[in-house]
Amino acid sequence: MAHIIGGIGSSHAPSIAQAWDKGQQAVPLWAPLFDGYVPVKRWLDAQRPDLMVIIYNDHMSRFFFDAYPTFALGVADSFPQADEGWGRRDLPDLPGDSAFGWHLARSLIEDEFDPTICQDMAIDHGIYSVLPMLTDARWPAPVVPIAVNVIQHPLPTARRLFRLGQAIRRAVETLPQDHRVVVIGTGGLSHQLHGERFGLVDPAWDNGFLDLLESDPESLAALSHHEYMLRGGAESVEMILWLAMRAALGGKVKRVHRNYHAPLITGYGLLALES
Amino acid sequence: MSDILGTTVFTGERSQRGYRLNLMAMSLTDPANREQFKAHETGYMHGMGLTETEIDMVKRRDWPATIEAGGSIYLMIKIAGVLGQNLLQVGAQMRGQTVEQFMATRPGLRGH
Repeated sequence: MAHIIGGIGSSHAPSIAQAWDKGQQAVPLWAPLFDGYVPVKRWLDAQRPDLMVIIYNDHMSRFFFDAYPTFALGVADSFPQADEGWGRRDLPDLPGDSAFGWHLARSLIEDEFDPTICQDMAIDHGIYSVLPMLTDARWPAPVVPIAVNVIQHPLPTARRLFRLGQAIRRAVETLPQDHRVVVIGTGGLSHQLHGERFGLVDPAWDNGFLDLLESDPESLAALSHHEYMLRGGAESVEMILWLAMRAALGGKVKRVHRNYHAPLITGYGLLALES
Repeated sequence: MSDILGTTVFTGERSQRGYRLNLMAMSLTDPANREQFKAHETGYMHGMGLTETEIDMVKRRDWPATIEAGGSIYLMIKIAGVLGQNLLQVGAQMRGQTVEQFMATRPGLRGH
């Protein structure tokens, strides 16, 4: 039987990708971010995962409002990088795992989640800005991407994301192969990218969120989108994606590492947990 | 605007109103379209079916107006990017500040 060995929550952002590609890992502005990933990279390497399920959101790179999926599951043997409007980065396509993808599709739908099944799913910085920090391999294991609508309201609730994580866990536990699975949730933390509140960052709220994610994630699942947007900015509602990761790990978790850095317009958070 | 000050929640209704503007921005994920847009800004937007009002707000780089007209920030920054502006420039304008004024409000190198 497959099992979930742990989970990682991480912010994603084009700014991370740009700083990475410019080789700014050691400059004072960025070192507190990139250094934070080193212990998690070591942990992930030692865990030798067979699969990585990644809950993220697309930023109008693959999906458009002509037909906007609330949940989209990538079922393919590889996933190309999306051109977001400024060209692709020098990184290879992500390997996929169709067999597990179909298993997850069947299991989720039996569990009353109904994702749009995507056999051609280009992936943007929602995953690509994070993975190079988590591994030196290109890439260490197949990726099964799940994109969630956190852009065009109405959005799925925080509680729904929590339940999605529980459903992912059930899917993994019914996979006959003895696979070691890591679940990753990306997004947030506090940020607002438009309007007079552009640039809103709230380290106290972000760190409180990280505390509760570990100790009492159900309390975060009870919060409304309005509360997330009020506290962390309209675009920070992505934080609900971390709840799917956390719920997939089950009740008790052990912290591997945590990091936080908020130099500019986003609270960059990182949390790795063992289940 | 929503009941959160300084915040426009991107609702389905807004998305519908801004559909043309957002679709034009989405087309810029194709490098060939980016070249065409850069070379013939107005003509490209006409071709994508934008109204004169929408074309005018892009030509004026009036990002708050595009948000008010139903633009998604994730798409408006694709337009801005092709026109040589980054997110910090777009954001500072939305706050009514220069980039220098805005950056002075950031913790930045203090490492907080």
